[in-house]
Amino acid sequence: MANTDKQVNELIKREYEHGFVTEIEADTFEPGLNEEVIRRLSAIKNEPEFMLEWRLKAFRKWLEMDEPEWAHVHYPKIDYQSISYYSAPKRPEDMPQSLDEVDPELLRTYEKLGIPLHERAALAGVAVDAVFDSVSVATTFKEPLAKAGVIFCSISEAVQEHPELIKKYLGSVVPAGDNFYAGLNAATFSDGTFVYVPKGVRCPMELSTYFRINAANTGQFERTLIIAEAGSYVSYLEGCTAPMRDENQLHAAVVELVAMDDAQIKYSTVQNWYPGDENGKGGIYNFVTKRGAAIGKNSKISWTQVETGSAITWKYPSCILRGENSVGEFYSVALTNNYQQADTGTKMIHLGKNTSSTIISKGISAGHSSNAYRGLVKFGPGAEGARNFTQCDSLLIGDRSAAHTFPYIESKNKGAILEHEATTSKVSDEQMFLCRQRGIDPEQAVSMIVNGFCKEVFKELPMEFAVEAGKLLEVSLEGSVG
Amino acid sequence: MKPAPTLSPAFLEPAGQQLPAPLLALRKQRGTALADMPLPTRKTENWKYSSRYLQMNEALATGLRPEGKAGPALAVDGYHVVFRNGVIVPEASVYPDTAGIEIKSFSELSDTEATDLAERLDNTLDSNAVQLARLNSARFEDGLLVRLKPDAVLDQPLFIVCETDASHSGSAYPRIYVDAGRHSKITLVEEYISTGGEPAMVNAVTEFTLAEGAQVTSVRLSLDGENVQHIGATGARLKASSRFESHTVGFGGPLRRHDLQVRLEEPGAECKLNGVVVTQGKQHYDNHTTIEHVAPHCNSEETYRNIAADQSHIIFNGRIHIHQDAQKSNANMSNKNLLLSNGAEIDTKPELEIYADDVKCAHGATVGQLNEDSIFYLVSRGIGRREATTLLSMAFINELIEQIPVALVRETSQARLNEFIDRTFVEV
Repeated sequence: MANTDKQVNELIKREYEHGFVTEIEADTFEPGLNEEVIRRLSAIKNEPEFMLEWRLKAFRKWLEMDEPEWAHVHYPKIDYQSISYYSAPKRPEDMPQSLDEVDPELLRTYEKLGIPLHERAALAGVAVDAVFDSVSVATTFKEPLAKAGVIFCSISEAVQEHPELIKKYLGSVVPAGDNFYAGLNAATFSDGTFVYVPKGVRCPMELSTYFRINAANTGQFERTLIIAEAGSYVSYLEGCTAPMRDENQLHAAVVELVAMDDAQIKYSTVQNWYPGDENGKGGIYNFVTKRGAAIGKNSKISWTQVETGSAITWKYPSCILRGENSVGEFYSVALTNNYQQADTGTKMIHLGKNTSSTIISKGISAGHSSNAYRGLVKFGPGAEGARNFTQCDSLLIGDRSAAHTFPYIESKNKGAILEHEATTSKVSDEQMFLCRQRGIDPEQAVSMIVNGFCKEVFKELPMEFAVEAGKLLEVSLEGSVG
Repeated sequence: MKPAPTLSPAFLEPAGQQLPAPLLALRKQRGTALADMPLPTRKTENWKYSSRYLQMNEALATGLRPEGKAGPALAVDGYHVVFRNGVIVPEASVYPDTAGIEIKSFSELSDTEATDLAERLDNTLDSNAVQLARLNSARFEDGLLVRLKPDAVLDQPLFIVCETDASHSGSAYPRIYVDAGRHSKITLVEEYISTGGEPAMVNAVTEFTLAEGAQVTSVRLSLDGENVQHIGATGARLKASSRFESHTVGFGGPLRRHDLQVRLEEPGAECKLNGVVVTQGKQHYDNHTTIEHVAPHCNSEETYRNIAADQSHIIFNGRIHIHQDAQKSNANMSNKNLLLSNGAEIDTKPELEIYADDVKCAHGATVGQLNEDSIFYLVSRGIGRREATTLLSMAFINELIEQIPVALVRETSQARLNEFIDRTFVEV
C-alpha cells in the first residue's frame, strides 16, 4: 500500500500540463466596460452599423440585469469593470491567409497542446477554425467546404460577408436579454465561429474549433452560430485548454444552433479549461449559454460534452424542440477534482408533437469538488406524444467530494411520457476488489471503472475526440484515489 | 423591480391569551421575527409553482373562533382529540388512559412544562424552508402535547381531528408536538376537515422527536373543503435506531401545501415516507419533502404517487440531503405521476444533495399516462376500457394506500379515491 500511496501522492501533485503562456504581443484594451469600449471594439472589427446597434442594445439591457445566484457554486463577486474586453494578436490588418503565414509561435502553442493543426486537418480531414484569444487566426480547409457550399468562418468575417444571415439568426436562439452572461456576451463578444450548411448538404468533414484563453486578465467572449438548412448535416467539435494563471478568468460564451426541417447538428465539446491548482486557487470561470433550436420537422440537435476543466462551470446546453418529431440529445461527462465546482445540465423544452429527447449525464466528483446536475424537462401543451428519458448518475471518489442532482420536470401534456432516474454511489469495493485481484493497480482500476461509467457518453463522441476524452479523464483523475 | 408584497401585520395579531406565559412569550417573539416577511413569489424557489395560488388577504388574518358545537360525527370510536379552529375541544375528545402516555393541551401545561416546550417548538423544522408555517408559531392559540415515557406503547391509533369551521372568513392554527421516549411506540392520525363555505386558511404544524429506538407512524389525511387553503408542515428528528413512518393522503383544494422534513440524526435511524395526491377541477397540491441524513448508517425510503385531472396542478419536490460523514447512507426516492388531462400540470423535482462518498442513493420520477399495453391486456380479456383504466389508476395509488396501518383511514381513503377515479374517467 505504501508504494501506491507514494505513487498516488506524486500523481496528485501533477500539475496542469497545458499551463504555459505564449508570449505574443497582444493588442489589449484597458480594463472596463462602457459604451465607448463597445464602440471601439466594434470599430476595430470594422463592423457595420447594425452590429454596433445590436451590441449597444444588449449592453443597455445587461446593465439592468442581475447576476444569477441560484447555481450551487460559490465564488467571490466578479468585478466586470476590472476585465479587459478585447485582446487580439498583433497585426490584425494582415490576417494570415494560409497556415504558412500563421505566426509560428502560435502553431507551436497548439502543438504543445497536442493539436497539430495542419496534421490533424490533413490526416483526419478536419478543418480547424482556431480561435486564439479573440481573433480567428487560421482557418483551414475552406476550399473543399466552399465547394460544398458550406460557410465556415469566423463570426467577424460572417458579419462582413453574410450580414443577411447574421441579421436573421444572431440572437434568434439566445436573445441578448436571455440571461446575465448572454447579455454580457452579446455586448462584448470579440469573435467566434460561424457555420452555415445549405439545403440538402452533408458537410464533407467534421468542423472543429480550438479555443484558447491566452492574454492574462482577459475574458474571452466568443460566439458561435451554426445554421443547418433543410436536410443538411453537420458535426462540430469544440475543444479547449487554457494556460495556467493565478487570477480567475471569465469565459462567457454563447452558442446558438438552428436546425431546419430534417437537418441534424451534432455538437461535441471537450472542455479542459484550467481548473485552478490543488488548493482551488485560480482557474477559469466558465459561464456559458448554449442552446439549439430544432425548428424544423424531423430535425435533430445533439450535444455531447466532456468537461474536466474550469474552476467553476455554469453551463446548460439546451434544445428547444419546436418542430414536429424533432429530437434533442444531451450526453455529458462532467468531472470535477480538487476544489472545482460545476453546476451543469441541460434543458429540453418540448413544444412540438412527437418530439423526443434523451439525457444521459454522468457526473464524477473527486477531491473537495462539487458537481451538480441541474436540468429541466418541460412538455408544453402542444407536445402531444412527446417522450423524454433522463438518466443522471453520479460517482463519488473521496469523502470530501459532493454530488448533487436538481432535475426540474414540468409537464402540461397528458400524452407526453417522461422517465427520470438518478443514482449516486462510489466506486464499489467489489469492483475494486475484482480488479485488484487480477493484478491491476488501484489507479488503473479506478480509471477503468470510471471509463466504463462514462462509456455511454464516450461512444457518442466523434472517434478522435473519444480517444482524447478518455485520456483527459485519466489525467484529470490522477491522484484522486486513496 | 417592484418589491415583493409583505405579510400583512394583521396576521401577526394572535387572538386568545389562554396559554401559559412562556408560550405567549414564544408566540410574541416569533411574531416579531415575521414582521415585514416578504410573501413568496414566483422567484421564491420553494414556492415557484405555488405562489400564484396563495391568497393572504386581511380577511384571512382574522383568527377563527372556536365557537359552535363539534362538527360532523366521526366514525372514530377509539382515542381521539378534536381541534376546532385550532383549539382543543376536551368534551369531544377521548384521551387514552395508558400508563406512560401523557396527553395535554398547551393551555393546561404548568409553567415549567411550558418553558420546556417553548424551547423545543420549531426545532424540527428548517425555518428557511417553511417560512409560512412559521406563522403558526406566532398565532397558535392552543396545541396538543403528546409525551411517551420510555417503553410506553399506545395500543391503538390516536386520531387528531382538526376541524375548521369556515362559516366566517379567517384562519386557524392547530399545533401538535409529540415527544416519543426511548423504545416507545405510537400511531398518530391527523385528519383535516372543514365545514362552512367562506374562504379560510388552515396553518397546521406537527412536530415529532424520536428518542433511541422509538417508533412513530404518522398518518395525515387532508380533506379540507374547496374554500380552505391549507399550509402544513411536519417535522421529525430521529435518534439512534428509531423509525419514523409517514403516510399522507391529500385531496386538492385552492391551495394545499405540505412540507415534510425528517432529520436522521443518529446511526440506525430510518424513515419511510409515502404520499398520495389526487386533484381535479382547478385544484392545487404541493408536497415538499426533505430528508436529511446527518449521521452514518441511516436509511430512507420515499414513494409519492400523484394523479392530476382536469385543470389541476400537482407539485412534488423531494430533497435528499446526505451530510458530510453520513457514510453508508441508503436513500431511495420514487415519484410517479399520472396526468389525465391536457389542462392539468405536474411539476416534479427529485433532488439529491450529497456530501459523503460511501452512499447509495437513487431517485426515479415518471410523468405520463397509463400504459397502453396494460390497458390492452385487460381489454383483451373482456374488461371494458373504462373499467380497465379505473382499475389501473386505482392500482397505481392503492399500492401505497394499502400500506397505511390504520384500517379506518385506509377505507376512508379508498372510498374517496374510488369516487374520484369514477368521476374523473366518466368520459373515457
